[in-house]
Amino acid sequence: MSSSTRDIRRRIKSVKNTKQITKAMEMVAASKMKKAQNEALSGSEYSALLSAMLAAIEDKVEGKFVHPFLQGRKVETRGILVLSSDKGLCGPLNGNLFKKISEIKSAAEYYVVGRKGAQFLSRTHRNLIADFSLGDKVAYTEVRQISQLLIDRFIEGRIDTIEILYPRFVNTLLQEPTVYSLLPLTDLKNILSDVTGRKVGGKVVGARELPKEDRDMIFEPTPYEVLSELLPRFIHNQVYQFVLDSKASEHSARMVAMKAASDNASSLLDDLTLQYNKARQAAITQEILEISAASLSN
Amino acid sequence: MSLHLEIVTPHGKAYESPVDQVILPTKQGEVGLLPGHLPLLTQVDAGELRVLKKGKTEYLAVSSGFAQVMQDKISVLTESAIDVEEIDPTVVEQAMAKAQAELKEAADVDPEEMERLETMVRYHQAQLLVKRKKR
Repeated sequence: MSSSTRDIRRRIKSVKNTKQITKAMEMVAASKMKKAQNEALSGSEYSALLSAMLAAIEDKVEGKFVHPFLQGRKVETRGILVLSSDKGLCGPLNGNLFKKISEIKSAAEYYVVGRKGAQFLSRTHRNLIADFSLGDKVAYTEVRQISQLLIDRFIEGRIDTIEILYPRFVNTLLQEPTVYSLLPLTDLKNILSDVTGRKVGGKVVGARELPKEDRDMIFEPTPYEVLSELLPRFIHNQVYQFVLDSKASEHSARMVAMKAASDNASSLLDDLTLQYNKARQAAITQEILEISAASLSN
Repeated sequence: MSLHLEIVTPHGKAYESPVDQVILPTKQGEVGLLPGHLPLLTQVDAGELRVLKKGKTEYLAVSSGFAQVMQDKISVLTESAIDVEEIDPTVVEQAMAKAQAELKEAADVDPEEMERLETMVRYHQAQLLVKRKKR
């Protein structure tokens, strides 16, 4: 009998250990999620100012200049940047992304951030061009290298669109795989009004009031040059914001998954403890029975 | 009427304060901005941004970007900005050495990458120059 109680005790111990680990991971994910959200928030001023500048210049040059970013062209190859995570244990986050990828049938070049996405794309023999890796602390300059590559390929004409597939942060419990089209910016005005009131972590931030001004604005050196410098920056910043958003999604998904695991461990522990107590009591009763039976027979 | 200067980077607002005059490094040379300036949108070059405030001059190192002047509000949009007080010369020198090494390695890389690296070197140089002047 004592052997079965020992077995149960061993299981209780291992479940307890697992619970401690999942609990710790849950808390780490929670703090990382908060950090990613804060970073997205601190970048919102930059996004808003950038959009305000673009809007000012858009008014001025409207339709007069031709810039490759603003021209829609026949789409032969799509360029898709997939933002996945490096590590697993984050629930259905990556799985949902991959489902979305499977739905894409048109010709496309894939660029990926995160090991999980790279594994999936290479396993399914898709046209994977570049595989980037970003840590938990995302630097703007790191992200710029990714967006620069995409822009270069777009200008060379190898890809005709730049799209981002990422887990959009809806709330802590819900992350939605979303495809967002970055280039071409055929409808810059709408996009700008969309971006200025962008949602970061569920809150609308960065709506920026333009100061009233009657005098005409001067652009130096020329409106076109300013515009063609501003547009790539706009793309860089968009990609940066999306990366932060996907990081927030990853951490919140992991937090929720780990919370579920901790809860499961707790209920398993309850069951095991009950089983253990029953076995222990059964053993004691058995012993008393044996002793009393022995004394009676004497 | 006084000017209001803000420097915005992707990592948050680096500087925000009312000022008397701003001297801005632009692609066409330095531009001094006083209250009542015409609305302006210009390209900022990596270099030293000087701020005159109550008779004192403050030095800031900025990376390339844009500046918008509207209604005596100057908004500088740049990828990085540093108050000279916070610059640590040794760190800057290391970063510069690294950037220059990358530049040498990248001699046959495409011109845009070159441009980016050169901007980096210029930015670090500006930080150093500004710091030395201060001392």
